Amino acid sequence: MVRLYLFKALIAFFFALSLFVQSLSAQVRGTIVGPGAERYPIAVSLLRNLGPGEDGGGLSEGIADLIARDLTLSGWFRVLDRSAYIEHPQKSGITLGSFDFRDWSVIGAEGLVKGGYNLQGDELTVELRLFDVYQGKPIVGKKYTGKAKDFRRIAHKFADEIIFQFTGTPGVFNTSIAYVSNAGGRFKQVYVAHLDGSEKTQITKDPTINLFPSWNPDGRSILYSTYGYRERAPGLYLFNLFTGKDTKLVSGSGLNLGGRRSPDGKFIAMTLERQGNVDIYLLDQTGKVVRRLTEDPAIDVSPAWSPDGDRLAFVSSRSGSPQIYVMELANGKARRLTYAGGYNTSPTWSPTGDKIAYTGRVSGRFHIFTVRAQGGDPEQITFSSGDNEDPSWSPDGRFIAFTSNRSGRYQLYMMQAGGENQQRLTGSGGDDTNPSWSSRLE
Amino acid sequence: MTGRLGTLTYGVMFFAFLALTGCPPPATTKPEASPPAPQPSAAQKAPAAPAARKSSTPSSSLEAARKGQAPAPSPLKDIYFNYDKYDLKTEARETLKANADWLKTNASARVEIEGHADERGTNEYNLALGAKRAQAARDYLVTLGISKERLSTISYGEELPVCKEQNEGCWQKNRRGRFVIISARPAS
Repeated sequence: MVRLYLFKALIAFFFALSLFVQSLSAQVRGTIVGPGAERYPIAVSLLRNLGPGEDGGGLSEGIADLIARDLTLSGWFRVLDRSAYIEHPQKSGITLGSFDFRDWSVIGAEGLVKGGYNLQGDELTVELRLFDVYQGKPIVGKKYTGKAKDFRRIAHKFADEIIFQFTGTPGVFNTSIAYVSNAGGRFKQVYVAHLDGSEKTQITKDPTINLFPSWNPDGRSILYSTYGYRERAPGLYLFNLFTGKDTKLVSGSGLNLGGRRSPDGKFIAMTLERQGNVDIYLLDQTGKVVRRLTEDPAIDVSPAWSPDGDRLAFVSSRSGSPQIYVMELANGKARRLTYAGGYNTSPTWSPTGDKIAYTGRVSGRFHIFTVRAQGGDPEQITFSSGDNEDPSWSPDGRFIAFTSNRSGRYQLYMMQAGGENQQRLTGSGGDDTNPSWSSRLE
Repeated sequence: MTGRLGTLTYGVMFFAFLALTGCPPPATTKPEASPPAPQPSAAQKAPAAPAARKSSTPSSSLEAARKGQAPAPSPLKDIYFNYDKYDLKTEARETLKANADWLKTNASARVEIEGHADERGTNEYNLALGAKRAQAARDYLVTLGISKERLSTISYGEELPVCKEQNEGCWQKNRRGRFVIISARPAS
């Protein structure tokens, strides 16, 4: 299998990275989150080379750039431009007392990230520290060891740590996005890439229609739908990222669409077209039907699990137009959640359980909305020109990935869950759609 | 040779135009600048080409797309739907009656009915919509006396558009049901 070796690097990483934690004082939580909060001005210094060799791989800049990008993407920080920094990163120290906080306060920094690295052969050690410039105090410091190529993951881990220090919940920058793109040719293919765009791997290769990748909760495999090469109807497949194994779970005449794994991993909810009807079914993890969940002659499609696994949000046209419904799995009873607008589709349940995001039509354009899972007034959270579709929550429920054609072609974006700080993630030259955000990677 | 020179000339003119105006030339300048192509030989080849292609071009939208071709024309006519609807319009019913007549005359033909949607809305819902459109066409053909066993359905949603512009004329062309004659195949 050609695919196998593609994942060896990934597997190697998961087991190679070990952390040495130096906990220092931390008392700045809760200052930067919430409506109207100012973006926290922070400087991210280039890393100091603590080893004997030259910085051939650009590690100093590479790590600093990734941390700065993550902090900017979060929307909670304003990263100060590096050209304004006063001190020389290769001459000043990285520990308390070995540099002058006034070099940073004078340019308006309230937070400061400094660090050093040591590359011996392929062995990489990185020390990163966060300081409170205003109080002249260290907040947290961490030491990571791994291979040279792990520098990206190390940078993201520290960005997640910084966000943890400020908000009480780690960031989500060590995650991946599964999506489809037609950038490589005539057909949409399924890809998986790290949130920073690296480690991009093409999962499907056949020249056919490939759609709806969806992560398993354990982050090890994805479900997707593909029009088979021999069968004519689309089937549901499971691709294991660790072994490269591709398994057909559901096929048969009629649609077999968009499987989503339950939070406990034991079940799959998906759309099947059987006996002239399009309905949602519950299947076991091998793809065997356990129970038919909807029996309406209208369209029932796009199931989305609640994080407790007790309910499913889905789309039904039983009222005459596509609307979002919520079903209790225990009794099969469904209640309508959306009433505003004539087209509401692609629901996805926040990992925190309180909200459902979906795509709705407003004046002929499509936008992302959120609504409380118990019901209430929907909130429109995208307003830009173009169409904004296919929301997918980050594992902490504080961000939403989506696709937008605001720049011409469909590209992936992320934003805060309230719609703030919309930032583009991809620029493939094709159309990138159907994002599915992974759980946190280890 | 002439063609290459012509293209080159056009290219030079294009950049000269850009340099002068800062804008791409309007489309109307194109015929004037394009080379005097060897039209007689192209005209001679034209009738032969479709005949040669006909045998190898698949009639299924997906099979044709795999080859980068438009699907081969079907003896059965397409039907069209309103936005986000799968009920059959009067014109669609008339077309289906004609298609049923053809199927009665050609009693051994089996048909795969393709349901398609326009690009607006979400991919997954549009696949379901395409399935309902194909089902509606099949159900009507059955009421007209065509055996259910001769009719299968498949939905391509918005995935295989025939027209890619963003306007109602184009969207209407994509909201279609197609009827692909398939050879009898054993169930897989």
